[in-house]
Amino acid sequence: MTTAPPTANSLKSGRWIASTCKMCLHSCGNLIHVTDTGVINKIEGNPSNPSNNGKLCPKGNAAIMRHYDPNRFKQPMRRTNPEKGVGIDPMWEPISWEEALEYTAAQIKKSLDEDPRKILPSLEDFQKFNIWAWPLSFGNFNFYQSGGTMCGGAYHPVNGFIHSAFACANDAKHCNYWINNGTGDGFSSHLHAAAQANWVAKARTERGMRVVAVEPRLSIAAAKAEEWVPIRPATDRHFAMGMSHVLVYEGLCDYRALKRDTNAPYLVGEDGYFIRDDNRQCYIWDKKNQCAKLWNDETIEEIALEGNYEFNGKPCRPAFQVYKDILADCSPEAMEKITTVPADTIRRIAREFARAAQIGATIKVEDGRTLPLRPAAYNYYRGAQGHKHGAQTNHSFKLVNMLIGNIDTPGGHMGVTLDPKEVDFNHCSMGESGMLKPTPHQLGPVPGFHYPPSTYHMMDYFPLGVHPPHFNLLMHENREKFGVEFTPDVIVNCHSNPVWAIHGSREKWFEFLRGMRFIVCVDIIPTEMTDFADVILPSHDVLESWNCTMIEPPHTEGQCFRQPATPPLHDTKSEEDIFYELSERLGILEAYNNVINLTLGFEGHPELMLELDKKYTDKEIARRKGLLWDGNDIEYYMEHGHSVTEKRLDKWYRPWEGCRLHFYIEDYLVERDKLKQQMEDANVPFRHEWEWDDYQPLPSSTLDPVHEEPPEYDLYAITFKDIQLNFGESLSNPWIKDIVYRDPVHTGLLLNPKTAAAQGLEKGSIVKVESPYGRLYGRISVSEGMHPETLGVSNALSRMKSKAAGVLPAGGHYNDMLPYDLKNTDAASAQPETVCKVKLTRLDDWPDFLKQGRTVYDLVEDYETAKGKGGHH
Amino acid sequence: MAIADRVFSGDTLRVGYRFQRHWDNSMAYAFYCCEVGAGLFFVSLLLDNLAGMVLGLLLVSTGKPYFHLTHMGVPMKSWRAMLRPDRSWISRGLLGLMGMVGFGVLALLVMVFGEGNSPTELWGLKLLAGGCALVCATYQGFAMSHSSAIAIWNSAIMPLSSLLYALSSGLALAMLLLPADTAAGLAPILLLLLLGLALVQLMFLHAGWHGGPGARTSIELLLQTFYARWYLGVTVTAGIALPALLTWAAPTSILAQLLSGIGVLAGFFAWRLLIFKIGVYEPIMTMNPFAPGR
Amino acid sequence: MARMGMVFDLKTCIGCNACVVACKQENSLPDGVFFTKTLSEEYGVFPLANRVYIPTICNHCDDAPCEKVCPSGATYTRHDGIVMVDDAKCIGCSSCAVACPYDQRTTMDADNFLKGLFGTGEITPFEKEGYARYTPGTVTKCDFCSQRVDANLDPACVVTCPTNARIFGDLDDPHSAPSKMIRERNGRPPMPEKNTRPKVYYVN
Ligand SMILES: Nc1nc2c(c(=O)[nH]1)N[C@H]1C(S)=C(S)[C@@H](COP(=O)(O)OP(=O)(O)OC[C@H]3O[C@@H](n4cnc5c(=O)[nH]c(N)nc54)[C@H](O)[C@@H]3O)O[C@H]1N2
Ligand SMILES: Nc1nc2c(c(=O)[nH]1)N[C@H]1C(S)=C(S)[C@@H](COP(=O)(O)OP(=O)(O)OC[C@H]3O[C@@H](n4cnc5c(=O)[nH]c(N)nc54)[C@H](O)[C@@H]3O)O[C@H]1N2
Ligand code: SF4
Ligand code: SF4
Ligand code: SF4
Ligand code: SF4
Ligand code: SF4
Ligand SMILES: [Mo]
Repeated sequence: MTTAPPTANSLKSGRWIASTCKMCLHSCGNLIHVTDTGVINKIEGNPSNPSNNGKLCPKGNAAIMRHYDPNRFKQPMRRTNPEKGVGIDPMWEPISWEEALEYTAAQIKKSLDEDPRKILPSLEDFQKFNIWAWPLSFGNFNFYQSGGTMCGGAYHPVNGFIHSAFACANDAKHCNYWINNGTGDGFSSHLHAAAQANWVAKARTERGMRVVAVEPRLSIAAAKAEEWVPIRPATDRHFAMGMSHVLVYEGLCDYRALKRDTNAPYLVGEDGYFIRDDNRQCYIWDKKNQCAKLWNDETIEEIALEGNYEFNGKPCRPAFQVYKDILADCSPEAMEKITTVPADTIRRIAREFARAAQIGATIKVEDGRTLPLRPAAYNYYRGAQGHKHGAQTNHSFKLVNMLIGNIDTPGGHMGVTLDPKEVDFNHCSMGESGMLKPTPHQLGPVPGFHYPPSTYHMMDYFPLGVHPPHFNLLMHENREKFGVEFTPDVIVNCHSNPVWAIHGSREKWFEFLRGMRFIVCVDIIPTEMTDFADVILPSHDVLESWNCTMIEPPHTEGQCFRQPATPPLHDTKSEEDIFYELSERLGILEAYNNVINLTLGFEGHPELMLELDKKYTDKEIARRKGLLWDGNDIEYYMEHGHSVTEKRLDKWYRPWEGCRLHFYIEDYLVERDKLKQQMEDANVPFRHEWEWDDYQPLPSSTLDPVHEEPPEYDLYAITFKDIQLNFGESLSNPWIKDIVYRDPVHTGLLLNPKTAAAQGLEKGSIVKVESPYGRLYGRISVSEGMHPETLGVSNALSRMKSKAAGVLPAGGHYNDMLPYDLKNTDAASAQPETVCKVKLTRLDDWPDFLKQGRTVYDLVEDYETAKGKGGHH
Repeated sequence: MAIADRVFSGDTLRVGYRFQRHWDNSMAYAFYCCEVGAGLFFVSLLLDNLAGMVLGLLLVSTGKPYFHLTHMGVPMKSWRAMLRPDRSWISRGLLGLMGMVGFGVLALLVMVFGEGNSPTELWGLKLLAGGCALVCATYQGFAMSHSSAIAIWNSAIMPLSSLLYALSSGLALAMLLLPADTAAGLAPILLLLLLGLALVQLMFLHAGWHGGPGARTSIELLLQTFYARWYLGVTVTAGIALPALLTWAAPTSILAQLLSGIGVLAGFFAWRLLIFKIGVYEPIMTMNPFAPGR
Repeated sequence: MARMGMVFDLKTCIGCNACVVACKQENSLPDGVFFTKTLSEEYGVFPLANRVYIPTICNHCDDAPCEKVCPSGATYTRHDGIVMVDDAKCIGCSSCAVACPYDQRTTMDADNFLKGLFGTGEITPFEKEGYARYTPGTVTKCDFCSQRVDANLDPACVVTCPTNARIFGDLDDPHSAPSKMIRERNGRPPMPEKNTRPKVYYVN
């Protein structure tokens, strides 16, 4: 019998290359098939990588279509059309690399020489911190990249406080009761979507893990959950505090853990500061001996968590009692009024959670330790944490976990480092008074206080926050008020689409960009941002370049290796080449190498340290990162594609053993008062407007200001990603487009049918959506899976770019409707509010600007009616 | 459930009814040509009407293949369509069609030129050609009724209606070709056939309405949507009621004969198109106890 | 003799359609063409609303109506039960497409290949190489990745599925993963009333 030559792509004659995905910022292991004719025709997950276990999400499966996208930038280009705007053809003129680099460097140099602060960097490649950190080589702390605070403004600092880690996840290996609050983690987004979905599915089928999803909409997580708890947007903290009320007032806490492993027993004075001795050591109340003793006094017989005491004539309470007093007002009944979640539900879930936590149970883990087993955990992310009082909100979620003693504990709520190599840098260390040393600045150094401000986004005033890119606009519009003395005129943009990603009015951002003297974009495909570029420096894509990284891996550690599957299709360069070339021309090469040595951890490893006067390739940097991780050279990585193993348990479970966790975050007060003083001393004019109440050592039940918008804005609007989407970026990919716009969740503005009826709307109605800050247009879809007060806006309905990229615009952008002011930004973390209040107006027809050219809604209509072959006829 | 509550998923990833769209209009034209042609040929054969036989053969041997080949993805290989008469009605039909054309042409030749031939031979040819014509008149209905996919097709009413439509439209057409008084003599037969059609339509509606969600949906589409005016206006009124009335009231009027002939043909044409357009695939079951009934 | 089949785990499927894209990759499918689709359906009334994700695929019916109506013999069943279409024989009459109760068949219209995945008429090297396998005008469908099966590999959609919601194997082997799953979790075929005897089952 003769066998016909294979038509199945993966079986064609060719070779497999072990590499790493980057269709989102994470790093799943993949295998790339290249045929004998040099065509990449199949990508699969790499089954030897225990993180994603051979699985890929739809984006990872769609990388080929990005590679062969005819819209890719094929050579360096310079704009010839002076008019800039989204959808306006820049009329690119191809130029040589030499000319492009010279020209770009000269343009940047002008500002560098005048004032390095005039350069606005926007560098967002999470897989390449060597590019991210480039501005540090000329002492620039500006920040215009898109991630910033829309993402995890308060999340990362609070993780830094509690776990001394960047991110967090639940321990899918042991967890039996998983609360998912405003995140797709394990189902559709967040950490390594493909990998986490695999881990969580196994936990659900093999162990019967129960999932409770707390969300204003029936997300994928909620659809898979055993219970969906619909919640009013921006009230998640109140839900968590309602649960905590039950745990605390019904005595459902892990008191042993609270006493031993946290600062909950530390005595707090009336001013909110810890009671300390002259050596700054904190006190604990010994209930047996009725006196305060130093935290490390071995004669303490019975640690008090509750009660009101007096020390040196002054009243004091254990931190736990402080929270208990706050929680007094947070009964489930009280929280029901805010969250709309029935009190009985809050109470039941709290009890179920505590029961599932098996407080007192232990487990012997493979490294020989016997550890507490707490198989219940509360997970959350962008949707739950992205609110005005972000710091308190994140803290409230952490405390639900801490109350049952599950922090970094088998089955519990875990810290996840940005890069696994951090665990080898001893990411946990002892701080003051027996407490874990907090590391709130997970994304690198911050500029510190200056007045006049040294950054255009006011990072000078966020000692505990993540860079707020939206404040670039606030500053720009209020230069005098904020006293800024320079004006950025150059943007260096790489792997970032800030015009899409950041809060605030598009029109104003467009003006902001039009005001720039020079914008360079290092990108691979056209986006809203590249429409404003003066020069395009096209980079290799993920299938053509080298890298070595692993971003926020929940259950595994190691490095994932990227290597070219084919030579570059076009006249492109690696980001490394581009930034080295620019650095050399700018005269900052040595400083840049220094920064890389520090950022990538080569510092202290003489054999890995980059020589300061040299330029390195992406391959060489990747090689050194591999060597740094496990001493394996590039051949090993090229063969295996990764060095990923399951996490070493000593680095995963209780890596802070011996330190006490921050139940009470005194630093918020310390930093508040320091900042107050600095502002006072410098006579900062806007200090009275500063939101000083935002700094709280424990969460309060204050309402976020979004709830106090004028009553005519009678609905909340929320945004979401899903597993097919990388923000909105992957929509230029035909395979992704083929599935996304057929999925009812992404084809209209989602509204509960009863709400729609009450508003005189129905499926298909065209509406104008207005917040107090901006607007968008869209078509209504009805879904019983929506909280009745909420309008859901998928990221798939947010793109603007309409010309080259083949991306279809919808009716504007969700982010237009978000405020970018002080009032709606958490002073403690720089986290801005990410939900908004809106009102809907029914329109008879689309506004004119949406009638020119095809929109998402036209495509969706084609699919829905399916005229001709494929559908109706 | 009303049609407005049914979910039609179009080409999306939603669970719902999907329209039959694989057999498009050209297939409907092919069916129509085949059935009208076969009916006309058959009736004409019985009436020894040469013109009708020729026209019937022409319709079946040109219109039908033309429209069928237009539909066919790989027309060059269409000869392969007759390879599986053991199981496929399409193959059987194709053989029937070849038989009808072959025997029909022979019978015609004999009728025109074969003065000396024995009547038994002619009778034999006529029998074969007529039998094949009946295969042509019904096989498409059988092909449809064998599709468990499109519930509204999946019943014995399909071949029955094919046969009745073939005969009635064939007869109506033949009557237009015959002298008016001969035609008037045939009026009672047409009336009978039209009554049969009316009965079949009633059976069709009744069976569809009670024939499960897919079939019910098709009936709803037929009666409650844009298609209703075509069905009720053309298929039922112009195609059955009016011709029946005219044939009963004025069997000898040439105008009435003309009108009822056109009506029957138009009604059948609309029916052929409609029956394709209202065909739906049923939504996949969800095994979901809370899912709304469909 | 083997009877290859698939089980879909509705408890874990997250409707991501990674399977769909994997299939598009493996089979170089043109825009808008699907050999598998994961559908979704919402049910219930707020707050007791929910959504179920339902992967669908050719069921490789034991009693395949598509095969019975095929006039050319292009549709046939392999020794291991996989229902195949031989596109050298297929005439594109689409009788099979109206016979399949699951609407699992697609005509590969020639213009599918001309407009290209980016819709601009530009054909990428990936497409150029992959489209060669198709005869325009023929009707096609999922073949359970028969060549991968011959090479002892799971189908492309199965290996990529992040939640292991697609389980593939020999239904004649009582110890195979799908057989066990069907037994232990009361697997049910889609639309049994159509009497096609699918080799695809759903568990919840
Ligand atoms: N597939 C995919 N994965 C990704 C990314 C991606 O783009 N696509 N991006 C990566 C990045 S950078 C990040 S930051 C993470 C983010 O990962 P997630 O936190 O999972 O991100 P989102 O989907 O934006 O938000 C999660 C959910 O919050 C809900 N939500 C919105 N507002 C509220 C609210 O007020 N309360 C509650 N409870 N829920 C609300 C939304 O409906 C949404 O389902 O994902 C990472 N992983
Ligand atoms: N409405 C709304 N806004 C949001 C969010 C949301 O969910 N909804 N999410 C927020 C969050 S959490 C974040 S982190 C931000 C993310 O915001 P961004 O980081 O801006 O996200 P992307 O849109 O993915 O932009 C990435 C850019 O990188 C380019 N790119 C892709 N691959 C390569 C490559 O290999 N090399 C180079 N040089 N460039 C490449 C892409 O073309 C694109 O321009 O958005 C935030 N904004
Ligand atoms: S989760 Fe991210 S890294 Fe993993 S396969 Fe999907 S796109 Fe690729
Ligand atoms: S890949 Fe798996 S989880 Fe995703 S839609 Fe397909 S079957 Fe469901
Ligand atoms: S599912 Fe349809 S195409 Fe597949 S074997 Fe069954 S009838 Fe044939
Ligand atoms: S389209 Fe092809 S496979 Fe289908 S019935 Fe016709 S010949 Fe057979
Ligand atoms: S088995 Fe193969 S051909 Fe069938 S749907 Fe899965 S990937 Fe596609
Ligand atoms: Mo993010």
